[in-house]
Amino acid sequence: MTLALARKIPGTPLEDAVRRYPDVPRLIILKTDVQRRGVHYTEEAVSYLDPEKHQTTGTHIFGTRDGVIALRPESLLLRDGTSIITTPTPPEENPYVVDLHDGRPWLFDAGVALEEVDYWPAPAFYGKDSSSGVPMKNIVSARPQRLNIFPYRYCTFWNNGKGCAFCDIVTQLKKGSRELKIPARLDPVEVGAVIGEALKEEGRFSTVFLTSGSIVGGSRPFDDEIDYYIAILKEVGKNFRTPKFPSQLIGTAFEKEQLKRLYAETGLTSYTSDIEVLNEELFNRHCPGKAEWIGYREWKKRLVDAVEIFGPGRVNTGLVAGIELAGPHGFRSEDEALERTLSEAEDLARQGVSTVLIVWSPRPDTALGAYKNASLDYYIRLARGLHALRVKYRLPIEHDSYRNCGNHPDTDLSRLLPLWEE
Amino acid sequence: MSEDLRNAIGSLLKEPATVASIATLDENGAPHSVPSPFLRLDADGRLVHLELLETSATHRNLLRSIWFERPVSVTVAGSDNRVLVTTGRTYKALVSGPLFSEYYREVRARLGDVGLAAVWLIEPEQIRDETYAVRKEREEVLHPFHRHLDRLAVRHGGAP
Ligand code: SF4
Repeated sequence: MTLALARKIPGTPLEDAVRRYPDVPRLIILKTDVQRRGVHYTEEAVSYLDPEKHQTTGTHIFGTRDGVIALRPESLLLRDGTSIITTPTPPEENPYVVDLHDGRPWLFDAGVALEEVDYWPAPAFYGKDSSSGVPMKNIVSARPQRLNIFPYRYCTFWNNGKGCAFCDIVTQLKKGSRELKIPARLDPVEVGAVIGEALKEEGRFSTVFLTSGSIVGGSRPFDDEIDYYIAILKEVGKNFRTPKFPSQLIGTAFEKEQLKRLYAETGLTSYTSDIEVLNEELFNRHCPGKAEWIGYREWKKRLVDAVEIFGPGRVNTGLVAGIELAGPHGFRSEDEALERTLSEAEDLARQGVSTVLIVWSPRPDTALGAYKNASLDYYIRLARGLHALRVKYRLPIEHDSYRNCGNHPDTDLSRLLPLWEE
Repeated sequence: MSEDLRNAIGSLLKEPATVASIATLDENGAPHSVPSPFLRLDADGRLVHLELLETSATHRNLLRSIWFERPVSVTVAGSDNRVLVTTGRTYKALVSGPLFSEYYREVRARLGDVGLAAVWLIEPEQIRDETYAVRKEREEVLHPFHRHLDRLAVRHGGAP
């Protein structure tokens, strides 16, 4: 009997969901639920970890559900190449478990071995130090096919306490600099040099990704953030023969003139600005810094403006899906949340802006940390809905795909978007 | 499944003149067959198909296959007219890591400036010997009614 037959146990929550959504792949449902419930790595699973071969936790800009920085697998790969960005979660919160099965790591639920997984492989440059003696992985980190640059691990929305209600960037910054010696602000020249080293590994990377917290300073608000991104992207660009290279920036919603500079002066090929929640009242409540400096309607307008510069299918926005249902001010039902979210996403899609979701993982050091995220059905229906909008409005999402990001169940579904241009 | 046939596939694939192809099903269930020039058998007895393009019909069909458990078929034809047909399931797509990098270097060494979308591992479930001589002999023994009578008739003159 093949493994594929052995691991399907009818009656488990996973297989029940697979039966309810026959058009959604089991592997994507599993990924979504693992992100929803989190994972716990057993001691055996951790002992399988080999830092020479596998990526270990610690390089990311945001934290975990158990609030611990410890040596664990950075994340997982499923058999179809799908990544699961995992947030280690305390066992008492009923997460999926990664344990060994026949000497290999598998995902388990309630003791049932569900699916074989691989730990993310470590890139070759992880073993090296930069010219200033910092481990290169603390300057540029990796996903299976992506290079991550987190140049500034602070967000100035926190200056007056108006950071987002789900965000733990500041706590993570403190832990990162204390326990891992990660620099809070990176030197662009050093970033460029590490990217150059990373590119020596053939066949490993297909995109460069850049994000930081918002930086409000400058002669126009956020000019400092733009200037910093441009400085970094210019240094990164020195490693390429072509003026443009596959790349994604998640930044604040910039003004059109700022976006024009970003596009004209660098090799950047796509732009993402996360609105986090598609409802004005909830945006004001959960993202007070964004609301204060830009505002909900202006954020959307700037996304649409960006399409003129980067092109349709090269601009998108992200949702921290589930916060729209959290607490006393959230939508009263998942049906309502779905209907209202998808209707606003459709308005953006009509204008060339794609919406992607990440499964909200409530973290202990955040204002919303005490609430639960949404049901598996909700996430599946939202992922299907966002993918369907891309089909309807002919919006590719290659810059934020399973290869170039790996954190969005809806863009996993979009691996099979029609190839309209052919 | 016959180990002999699995070994025979391995031997055939070592010969440079062997031709391999892979057939997959599209979203409507229509078959799509293309050459698989890098096909090989790995140490675990799985077929290894290297897919160079993310947007190729075969790559997308293989993804459908691993997502929705659709079968795939691989044909291996040797220069001695031996033909072996495997049906199986997609087991895994490698997109990163040491093995992926090894194959990436190999395809570039052979083809120049090309990429590699995924290394697909296919778990064989059935292997059939479709070599014409073997099939002909079996059919004539087991299914005698399918033969044309002229092939059995008394020969007059020099007809074959
Ligand atoms: S914009 Fe919000 S989510 Fe992003 S870093 Fe700042 S506070 Fe955190």
